[in-house]
Amino acid sequence: MIRHLVEGVKRGFGLHSPGRNLAILPDDIFLVSYPKSGNTWARFLIANFLYPGQHPDWGNIDRLIPAPEVMSKRDFEKMARPRVIRTHDAFNPRFKQVIYIVRDPRDVALSQYHHHRKRKLIGDHHPFESFLPGFLAGETNVHGSWKQNVASWLAARNGGPKFLLLRYEDMLLDTPHELSRIGAFLGVETTAERLSMAIEHSSPKEMRRLEQLQADDCGLTKGTRQDLPFVRTAQSGNWRSDMPESSVAAIETAWGPLMKFLGYELVSGDQAGPIESAFPVSAMGGPVR
Amino acid sequence: MIYGIKRITRYLLGTDIAGRSLAVYPDDTFIVSYPRSGNTWTRFLVANLLYPRETVSFANIERLIPDAEAVSSRYLKRIQGPRIIKTHQYFDHRYPKVLYIVRDPRDVLVSYYHFSRKFRHIADDFPLEKYVHLIVTGALEATNWGTWAENVGTWLAARHGRSTFLLLRYEDMMADTHAELAKVADFFGVGASPEQVQRAIDNSSADRLRELEKKESSEWVATRNRRDDIPFVGTAVAGGWKNKLPPESVAEIESAWGSIMARLGYELVTQRAGHTGSPLVAAAGFGKRQE
Repeated sequence: MIRHLVEGVKRGFGLHSPGRNLAILPDDIFLVSYPKSGNTWARFLIANFLYPGQHPDWGNIDRLIPAPEVMSKRDFEKMARPRVIRTHDAFNPRFKQVIYIVRDPRDVALSQYHHHRKRKLIGDHHPFESFLPGFLAGETNVHGSWKQNVASWLAARNGGPKFLLLRYEDMLLDTPHELSRIGAFLGVETTAERLSMAIEHSSPKEMRRLEQLQADDCGLTKGTRQDLPFVRTAQSGNWRSDMPESSVAAIETAWGPLMKFLGYELVSGDQAGPIESAFPVSAMGGPVR
Repeated sequence: MIYGIKRITRYLLGTDIAGRSLAVYPDDTFIVSYPRSGNTWTRFLVANLLYPRETVSFANIERLIPDAEAVSSRYLKRIQGPRIIKTHQYFDHRYPKVLYIVRDPRDVLVSYYHFSRKFRHIADDFPLEKYVHLIVTGALEATNWGTWAENVGTWLAARHGRSTFLLLRYEDMMADTHAELAKVADFFGVGASPEQVQRAIDNSSADRLRELEKKESSEWVATRNRRDDIPFVGTAVAGGWKNKLPPESVAEIESAWGSIMARLGYELVTQRAGHTGSPLVAAAGFGKRQE
């Protein structure tokens, strides 16, 4: 009851986080991804690209490119426009301009597993095999499953003019090229110097250096284990060495068709999965009934 | 400022509309569709099937199967579970179990046009072609339910194929209500005899709903204070667009949403209907639904 009252008073002064009720402006740009898909790196890249004078770091990133669940309504109203806002939400028709980052779900699963260790949600000896079923069912975080998040956005927006789909793997392979695509999408002039500065200031090494200094200044890292970095390997394909074969097969069985659609090579033989293989083969393509 | 105080008071008292931010419980079931797709009929069918002792009417439907957009968050919280909730929301990953109804968008738009006139969202003489154009391009959005393709596409892409997702076509429900309602009974895990199913159908017929609407329009939140000369319960037919929709409007709808329509088994009549509505489907190279 008291908590409810405090929340109500906060609302009166606009101090609450707007979350789903965020008032959206027509020129807002949303940076969307499922968690652990390179969203924070992309935020640093974009912030360094757009606001180099602000020296983006862990202390101000949540204000430069904020999340509706984190920053207050009042601060949202004070932001300079056009605003870049980050979120992990599944499809939302109110988001008109969207940069969507997708990452190989096999790497996402590993990353989320380690993130759970960092947040002390599971112990160091928790086997990955026990973590995976919950991950596949979308129960390991509040945003649902990887497949539903990705599929909802692709089904509604892929191919549209105001939807930029980026793969984390491509961003790693050729960062200048992908960042210049972001620049074009944002309608900002892109020079080679501006690109390389932004990339340099957002390198894993630099992000880790800042993270060590500022772990308590950022909601993402505050109160979590300091012996495990938030910026972990910043690589793609770790699942090939770090993930049990049966787990790889389980992910591919569940989400094979969508992974293939995104260009992620499947390595386990049979992907005739029963349940989640629905997309795109049967959700939009296969027999409807 | 006054608006702000009102809003905060509502929040504190829990009298704010539940809507998108409603609290979801694990045993909830949602009846979801884009507007004007047979949702109200389905609500009556389900209510009559699951609560045979009630005389289901517009006066009590919000108690039996509440509309998340019409009742308060406190009201919804206090309903004893397992709850059945009606909504028009686009994909929401929190909904554990979903009965999704889809209807030919050409019929949906004709129906929505009359509905928008009833609700005075548009003038009586607003041209139908212009209305269709605004809806298809997403320029006219009274509410945040996405376009037809966004609403249908997100649910299908995310959930189709799961045991917790039942997809019904309005047209199939019209053609063989008994068979479709039997599927619904299975979905809700109730054993219903053919007689019980038939009774639910009879109690939910379009004629009966029209009769109830005439008597109770002032008691139902969706029809209260609305124009009485245009009924909420529409024609209740499939394929009415063939006589009512100008060819340009048909072409516009099929060009935007043709690929999803084809996947759902809605025959396209425009030559070379485009596939811009769902590039995923086009990329995957699928044709029509296999019967």
